[in-house]
This record gives sequence, structure tokens and C-alpha cells, in this order.
Amino acid sequence: MVVFNVLSVHSMFSQLLFAGSSLLNLKIRTDDYTMTEKRHYSKPTIIRHTVGVMNKYGRPPATVPMNRLVGHEVKELVENYGSPLFVLNVQELRDNYRDMSRAFMTRYPKAQIAYSYKTNYMKAVCSILHQEGAWAEVVSGFEYDIARNLNMAGENIIFNGPYKTKAELMRAFSEKALVNIDNYDEMQVIEDIAEELGTVLEVGIRINMDLNSPPWHKFGFNLEAGHAFEAVKRALASGKLKVVGLHIHVGTYIDDLTIYSRAAQGMVEFYRYIKEQLGVTLKYWDMGGGYASHNTLNWAWLPAEQTCPTYDHYAETICPILLNGPFAAEDAPKLFLEPGRALVDEPFSLITSVAAQKRMPNGGRGIVLDAGMNILSSVQWYSYNFQTGQDSGSMIEDTTVYGGLCMNIDVLRESASVPQVRRGDLLVIPHVGAYNISQSWQFIYLRPNVIAIEDGEVHVIKKAETREYVQEFEQVPDTFTK
Amino acid sequence: MDSFLHSEFTLSESGFLFDHGTGLTYTLNETGRFIFQKIQDGSHANNLVELVTSEFEVAEDIARKDVDDFFRQLKEARIIH
Ligand SMILES: Cc1ncc(COP(=O)(O)O)c(C=O)c1O
Repeated sequence: MVVFNVLSVHSMFSQLLFAGSSLLNLKIRTDDYTMTEKRHYSKPTIIRHTVGVMNKYGRPPATVPMNRLVGHEVKELVENYGSPLFVLNVQELRDNYRDMSRAFMTRYPKAQIAYSYKTNYMKAVCSILHQEGAWAEVVSGFEYDIARNLNMAGENIIFNGPYKTKAELMRAFSEKALVNIDNYDEMQVIEDIAEELGTVLEVGIRINMDLNSPPWHKFGFNLEAGHAFEAVKRALASGKLKVVGLHIHVGTYIDDLTIYSRAAQGMVEFYRYIKEQLGVTLKYWDMGGGYASHNTLNWAWLPAEQTCPTYDHYAETICPILLNGPFAAEDAPKLFLEPGRALVDEPFSLITSVAAQKRMPNGGRGIVLDAGMNILSSVQWYSYNFQTGQDSGSMIEDTTVYGGLCMNIDVLRESASVPQVRRGDLLVIPHVGAYNISQSWQFIYLRPNVIAIEDGEVHVIKKAETREYVQEFEQVPDTFTK
Repeated sequence: MDSFLHSEFTLSESGFLFDHGTGLTYTLNETGRFIFQKIQDGSHANNLVELVTSEFEVAEDIARKDVDDFFRQLKEARIIH
């Protein structure tokens, strides 16, 4: 991991000013010296100095061209697969999984990662992670079906979420999936299913705690208000359910480790209490997802490189607390983790092309890309970086980056450090694997190819859309055209 | 061609530009500095593309677009008129 120093940005700036303090009144002419060959060319540029404190986007400028991705020329990839283009570095995804799994298993041997499907449920992505040993964490019947279709056994699927239909729950219990109950209505449906199947069903209870602001109270039963305890008691009281699991998910992109330590502490105390009061023995506890990736949040002052905890930080925060739970070491419940963005964000990049550049009325520069927020919805959270895909010289300019959609809100970043580029030049946006693809919308443009590269080989893992595909399920009644 | 520039400018070898009229400062890259110097020396705008292509490794059509764009930047910055 590269750690950048904010101060280096400051010192660069002062060097720039220092250069200016030795002003020369130059009268150099080209015929004053002889040349053997022509000079290296970059786009002529002039940038006005602005004096002030470093702004909150104070990242080191990225003038070093990212003209290769996973060993391939960016330009060539675009020639072969079009622009924009999502590119997955398969080895990086595998390494992330192995790294995170190692971080937790070395501290809590019964740890098991269940990949949060919603983050990116492309079949190829899920397959790679399952190949590495991940279970599936799904939050809808549709996602459940994707997992089963990839031959995940029901018993390796965790089924979460606030809305599960009776049919979906019936399927999940019949296939021995782990189900975490979100609310009383769902509990009642599950009791009906237990009745119909003529068996006692093992369930998990999702709880929430007052950990962050705004709190994640939408899901599960609140601990502090006593609802979580009531829920466990209520589940047992029916005689149809056996509580064997506890689940919490503290939020998403949580880089504050104390939130995890308080959540783990809460889980331990709650387990102790329901064990004493209700005789519950857990088979698993599930700490959910939320682990941050190396992307900088829009409202963050420091770049993610300086604030994002490592997998080891998270594991070191959570595991020792859980190991203090009310059980003999050999009886430790299985520990589930449901990472999403921490696994898939970084291995994906998006290659885009510059469609236009313009001067804004305030004198600033704007550029328009061929990719919009329809395939990059995380711009509502993240201040992405835009790396040049070719040699663009060393002149960086503060730039507003617009998406290509014909919508005023399609701004990918208000203020980014971008080198001098022309129409047709390529920009690479790193770390785009989480949520952008699963939350993408088809609007005005067709969604692009997604490729995966491993061992030098390029695989198309999702083909670009066609008009026929987009309109496949549309119908025009005859009476509309007669 | 003197009236081409709005005021008096001092340009350093490193591309640092000082506008005596407004007190504003700028940074020019190597190519930008080359062109600006030619303007200061009184080169005619129409000759600049040729000067750039004979000095730098660049195709004429690209240089033409870039020089146009550079002039637009200079105008917007009220450095030339
Ligand atoms: C229950 C549950 N688990 C895991 C995740 C994955 O979150 P993240 O991508 O922040 O790791 C989510 C997403 O919000 C979730 O709701």
C-alpha cells in the first residue's frame, strides 16, 4: 500500500513559487542553439496560480500515465473492446479474498467470508470468489437464485434482507440455507413454514445497535431498546424456531474501527445475556460487511490511502473481542463476515474516453467523458481519480469532470486533478468494482463490455448491450401501429 | 503585433509567467512557453503552427487544434486579445 504524504503537495506548491522568485527577463531565440532532433511534444498549456490553503481534494497529482492495465495496453484494450470499458484484474480479486480470509482466520480460526452479492453479482465475479472459498451472502430471492445457479449449496448461502417472500423462504429452508430474521412479520411467516414442514427451524436474528449517525435502525431488532432480546424470546416461545445465529451489519464504508469494536462488544454481551436468560447456544455470529476500500469519500478531507484500515486492522479489532464470548475455546461459534466493496472495489478499473473539453464561465476547465453516472453511480459517495491513459505531459489542472449523459446532474467529480487531454484521449478510473455494475441503469446509452484479465488472457465476462437486447421484452400492440 | 498582448509579461526559463499589469502569475509547460515566447517575439499567429511542428515531434493537425485551444485559453485569461 502506498502512503502519500499530504505535505508533499504543499512542498511542490512552494517549489513552484520559489521557481517564480528568480524571474528572468528572457530573450532566448531558437537559433541561439542547434538541435539534433525535435523536442518531445505535449499539449501547450497555461495554468493560473491560485493562492490559498490546500483544498480538501489535496491528492498527489497523477500525471504518470496509466497506459497499461493488468499487462495490457489501455489503448489496445479500447481498440478491441470499445470505450467505456470495465476491466477486472482477476489476480487482485483473488489476492484480496486470500488476504482478508487470512487476516481473520489467523485470529479466529472459524472465520468464514460470505461475499455480499449485491456489491457485484456478475457470475464471473461470484465464481472467482467461490473458487477461492467464499460463501454467498444474498439479500433477495433473485440473488439467492444466482447463487444456486452457480451451484452454491444452500447450506453455504446466508439469506439476509428486510423483504423475503414466503416462497423464497420456503426454498431457502428446504435447501438448508442460513436465514437471518429481520422483523416480526417475517418471523411469523417462518413459523408457518416450520409448521408446514413439520419441523423446528434453525434461524438467526438480525440485531442493530446505536453505533453511528445516522444509525442503521432499518434492519433487524434494536439492542438498546430491548427489542433484540424480545425477538429472541419471542422466537423461542413459539416452539417452532431455534435461535442459533446473531447477525449485525454496522453500515457501509466504515473506516472507524471503534464502530466494529463496539459492535463486537455488544454481540458478546448480548450472547452472554441470552445464554444466561434463555439458554441460547449460538452456532454462528455474523459481523456483516462495511469494510472500507481505497476510495476517498466525497466529504473526506484525507485521501483513502491515509484513512482506510487494512484487513488486519479490522480483524485485530473484531476477533479478540469475540473470543471473549461465553464459550469454551473449542465451542466458538462460526464467525461470518460479509464484505462487499472491500473485496471487489479495487480490482476493477473503468477506461473512458474524453468526448470534449470546455472552459466554464468561471474560467475553470471542464471535460466530458463517454461514461456517465448510469454506470458509475458511486460518484454520489466517492471522489474518483482520473488517471491519464497516455502521456499527457506534467501539467495538471483542476477540472470538473462531466459524464456523457444529457442530464445536468451527471457530474462525475466537481474538482479533480486532471492532466491536459484532448477529445479521444483515454482516462482510467481505478477502484470502481463495487456497486457500480450491479446498480447501473440503462439510460440513453448501451452499457459497455466488462472484461477480466488473468495470466495475460482477456475474457469478456459481460458483453456490451445491444438495442435488441434492451428492447427484447418490449411489445407494441398491433392496434398502436395500424 | 505588440498590441497583441494585453500588458507586459516576464517569462522565466522554467515556464513561470508574470503579468506586470495585473500581478497575476501562471505556469506554462514547455510547449506553451515556446509559443508564448514566439508571441512575445512578434511572430504572427498564422505562423505558430509551423513553428511548433518544426520544433516539436508532432503532427500538423494535432498542433493546429492544440494551438487554437491554447489561444482560446490565453484569450479567456485575458492575456491576449
Ligand atoms: C447485510 C449486508 N451485508 C453486507 C453488505 C456489504 O457491505 P459492504 O459492501 O459495505 O461491505 C451489505 C451492504 O450494505 C449488507 O446490507
